[in-house]
Amino acid sequence: MTALSLSLLVPWAAGLLLVVLDGRRRTVGWLGAVTLAATIAVLGLLAADVLRDGAVEMVTGGWPAGVGIVLRADALGVTFALLSCIVLLAAACAETLLGVGQRTVPGLLVLLAAGLNGLFLTGDVFNFYVFFEMSMIAAYVLTGYGGGRAQLRAAVIFASVNLLGSFIFLLAVAGTYRVTGTLAMDDVAERIREVPPNAAIAVAVGFFVAFSVKLGLFPFHYWLPTVYADTRPSVAAVLSGAVANIGAYGLLRFGPGVFAEQIRLSATVLVVLGAASIVYGGVLAVARRRPAEMLAYSAIGQVGYVLVAVGVGGPVGFAAAVLYSVVNALNKALLFLTTAVRGPLVAGAFVVGALSVAGVPPAVGFVGKLAVFRSAVDAGSPTLVVLLVVGSALSLLYLFLVYQREFWAEEDRDAVTDAETRDTAPARGVSRRVPVVVLAVLLLAGGLWPEPLVAVSAAAADVLTASTNGAGP
Amino acid sequence: MTDPETPPGPTVIVRVVARLLLAPSVVVAVALIVKGYTKVGDGFAAGMVVGLAVALNAVAVGAHRAEAALPVLRHAPHAAVGGAFVALASGFFPVALGEPVFSHRPGPDEEVVSVGTAELMTAVSFDVGIFLLVVGVVTVLVHQLAEPDQEPPT
Repeated sequence: MTALSLSLLVPWAAGLLLVVLDGRRRTVGWLGAVTLAATIAVLGLLAADVLRDGAVEMVTGGWPAGVGIVLRADALGVTFALLSCIVLLAAACAETLLGVGQRTVPGLLVLLAAGLNGLFLTGDVFNFYVFFEMSMIAAYVLTGYGGGRAQLRAAVIFASVNLLGSFIFLLAVAGTYRVTGTLAMDDVAERIREVPPNAAIAVAVGFFVAFSVKLGLFPFHYWLPTVYADTRPSVAAVLSGAVANIGAYGLLRFGPGVFAEQIRLSATVLVVLGAASIVYGGVLAVARRRPAEMLAYSAIGQVGYVLVAVGVGGPVGFAAAVLYSVVNALNKALLFLTTAVRGPLVAGAFVVGALSVAGVPPAVGFVGKLAVFRSAVDAGSPTLVVLLVVGSALSLLYLFLVYQREFWAEEDRDAVTDAETRDTAPARGVSRRVPVVVLAVLLLAGGLWPEPLVAVSAAAADVLTASTNGAGP
Repeated sequence: MTDPETPPGPTVIVRVVARLLLAPSVVVAVALIVKGYTKVGDGFAAGMVVGLAVALNAVAVGAHRAEAALPVLRHAPHAAVGGAFVALASGFFPVALGEPVFSHRPGPDEEVVSVGTAELMTAVSFDVGIFLLVVGVVTVLVHQLAEPDQEPPT
């Protein structure tokens, strides 16, 4: 219980303090990194508790359930919280090593961790919304980091589209309260069964649209390429590796966790949208020349795998969705961070990331792809399997196009990445590559020894399947 | 009808009312916090009342002159952060005692020291923190909208 409170308190209090201090000073940047590391340690303790003894629950103020707000850490939430904090830590280290250019950045990264932990570790729909807004506000400000024209444009697009998404989410929350009369997730999951199907499906679609906007799934992806390509690389890593987790987690938590019946009904739609995302993202990524833009389209394709896995469902599908979200977040964080630095070590790290996205062993992406393929085979659809293969092949193609252009043809680079010269110019110190290399090693280690990751995602999927079956008649 | 000599902007009535409303708004805010536990009100509403008075003042006489007349407004960022810390401390101190967060002291059924109608308990200090946070943030927002800081691009 203490670990659960501390996982919120540590980043929240430290983040407030860091926002006040001048983040351009190196010590403040490292303080931010240390805070994130401490948060990861607390979450690790919490995860150990959760995986050993099951979900940890706390009602604020010790009120009876139904009056107080429930904070709950289960395997699914803890996995996503740990993942996001690891990505944030990598981004914070990378940014500090490159030199922070804006005073609030370290504090905002830490506050973002507080918001994300809050929304991953709550058992209440409205509390989820509050922490969701808290992390989004930090993300809006971070998107503008750099202060150039491109960053401001990206920030305006990101903020306006996502505010719309948040508004739809809020409408869905209001709808949930209207039809079920409660906002605690457990009670909503139970009472939604007696709700007229039309109302229930309308609310479920609201949640789905809100999370798809956040995740950048195919029909809601239009904001994503500009934003990911124009923000600073470390911010893009944070957006795709940490903030996008809100979407993946939300789909899992609200889909099978709350609206189990509705998600079964719409399985085909989810699979079709996911497959469309995979192909669309892959094809457009091949056509792009700037690495950041290509990675942005790649991100659209990669989240398609998560949606396909959710659509297929069942213990295998949900475990695959969790596993793939984890793998994808780490891949994207690594690849976006490599766009800011250069050198042979970075080239090696990029290859690891590329292999991981394509799903080639020994990188951890293989494990993720394998899980998604297993769920597609379970679904018994040859078309789906073929589409997944096409998506993987496309990702291998576009990533090695970039590899060739960026790391082999050094002399061409000036023409291509003119916009990024400021980022690439000072980035030739060995120490600056450390975060990238550490992430790459993490990906390799996960590929060589995948059992812990697989076990954790199976445990996370158990949470979802248990809540759909356990409360049933 | 209107005098062509009148400077553009709000009329003298708006300016006077804006100035006169400041003190009562603080009184109303205190009342909202103090009474919040038996009647309608809380720190957020109190903060909004004062924040609106500050915003009206800025609209009426301009943010620059409003701040010159009330130098305390310059401490708004400190108030916001300080308030956030007070609120966090009031919410999370039970962690140190091994209780769920947002448990309050004195607890249920315990004797509460009161000063007039004000009850001294951690739930009130939480609301005071929220009040400071809201007032601080609104004031900073008004200041930034009126004259944005020009941070040199790095």
